[in-house]
Amino acid sequence: MNVIEINNLTKNYGKERGIIDVSFSVEEKEIFGFIGPNGAGKSTTLRTLLALIYPTSGSAKIFGKDCIKYGPEIKKEIGYLPSEVFYYDKMKVSDLLKYSASFYKKDCSKRISELAHAMDLNLNKKIDDLSFGNKKKVGIVQGLLHEPKLIILDEPTSGLDPLMQQKFFELLQEENKKGATILFSSHILGEVQRMCNRVAIIKEGRIIQLEKISALQENNYKKIRVQTTVKLDENYFNIDGVSNLVVSQNMISFLFKGNINSIMKKISEIEIINVWVEEPDLEEIFLHFYEKGA
Amino acid sequence: MNVFKREMRANRKALIIWSIGVISMIASSMGKYAGLSASGQSINDLLAEMPQSLKAVMGMGTFDLTTAIGYFGVLFIYLAMMATIHSAMLGANIISKEEGDKTAEFLFSKPISRYKIISSKLLASFVNILILNLVTFVSSILMVQKYSKGEAVLGDITRLILGMFILQIIFLFIGTVIAAVSKHPKTAPTLAAGILLITFMLSIGIDLNSRLEKLKYLTPFKYFDAKNLISLRGFDSVYMILSVLIIAVLLSATYVFYKHRDLNI
Repeated sequence: MNVIEINNLTKNYGKERGIIDVSFSVEEKEIFGFIGPNGAGKSTTLRTLLALIYPTSGSAKIFGKDCIKYGPEIKKEIGYLPSEVFYYDKMKVSDLLKYSASFYKKDCSKRISELAHAMDLNLNKKIDDLSFGNKKKVGIVQGLLHEPKLIILDEPTSGLDPLMQQKFFELLQEENKKGATILFSSHILGEVQRMCNRVAIIKEGRIIQLEKISALQENNYKKIRVQTTVKLDENYFNIDGVSNLVVSQNMISFLFKGNINSIMKKISEIEIINVWVEEPDLEEIFLHFYEKGA
Repeated sequence: MNVFKREMRANRKALIIWSIGVISMIASSMGKYAGLSASGQSINDLLAEMPQSLKAVMGMGTFDLTTAIGYFGVLFIYLAMMATIHSAMLGANIISKEEGDKTAEFLFSKPISRYKIISSKLLASFVNILILNLVTFVSSILMVQKYSKGEAVLGDITRLILGMFILQIIFLFIGTVIAAVSKHPKTAPTLAAGILLITFMLSIGIDLNSRLEKLKYLTPFKYFDAKNLISLRGFDSVYMILSVLIIAVLLSATYVFYKHRDLNI
């Protein structure tokens, strides 16, 4: 079953581009990554899902229901952490969390103290006096306190120190094991790689790739470096499937996607000193998308 | 109810300060009346020699300043001004602050419809202006009665303060509608105060220059002119209908615009 289904979602801000024709779905109990550089349209997509802004065209369904029309109803089961956390400055942390809990018709006090303990958050401070990282923690607790079935996170780790990031990911994995579906956006590939089953890559408002993390890493791409005895013609390896080609002196490196035999033949036809064939990390695949476009 | 409670709490301090302001304004002004009335008829003679335009600017018009209620009639326009500033700022602010303070992303991702959020906020601001109105009402009666030497003032004050309440409601919704339409949340309170000032100046302008008489429908301050409310004429039905219409239009526009626009986040 799909928890989120986005169909041809387009959003313009006047003449400015927001997102164009975005479609993807997130399955139940999946951890889905949504990656792209700043300004690519990640937040726009997530905010449309939450009916904070309205789509220009296209639609999205959450739990099988239109996210705009049934907004208040489906939000009962959504926990959302915005990329920038701002709360009522004059409130105490505990008051804010109680206020947050008051929107859900269940008792969340036990859960609040559990989460605050896990995230090492002082409930008696005023929001005003918190550092950015601590505000983020308030945001995390606020997003998880009602044990939502769907957790939507917009750049969740910015501002958290590595130790807290670790704690936070453990929390998320726990929630996921309990049955929660997670959609999170990021421009940090390491965390996506570590957490997600599948990933959508967005660039300049359009989805350019939608794949399983494993497929991205293992099946399709090889990162190949060749050291040759003599300087080669720059275009020798410029064949179908080769990208990110860099030639410097006797070293040639590139990414290859396609039938591995064809590239091995090319390599066997020249004199080489050394060859490395590696799994590329997501970063490199990612860069490749950004440089060359879809 | 939680949004309502939160707004009541958030506006509590401001309401107390405004109430103290209104009370001290009434108390100090009526205190001056005590000194004025001691001088007897001479104050009216003095005023008769003052140019009409100066009296209009100061809101004195045709009031008999030797009576407590006549004196209060002059004071009324300043009270109405204060109360409407409170209303307009409150209305604009209560809607726009979620976007201005960037708390909108928190509140609107909760399982509550925009309709309910607006309703709770409108209810909270309505209760706030009602309280300020009652504070004005009670302190006016107490202070005017103290100096009125037994004249019957209750009816006049009730009409005046009721008029002020309708003015408060109109400006509350002028504030909310500006915040609901505005794409720049931070400017909404300023814009609301600007509109208030313009309509207030216009009402004085009409007093100054009879050729502007036809513009009286454009400024709510003219709907509830103290001299009409104090004299036997009371409320003008044309103005009452107009007020109800304006309130209905502003209220529904607040809902419609806010429901259908993107939040500024």
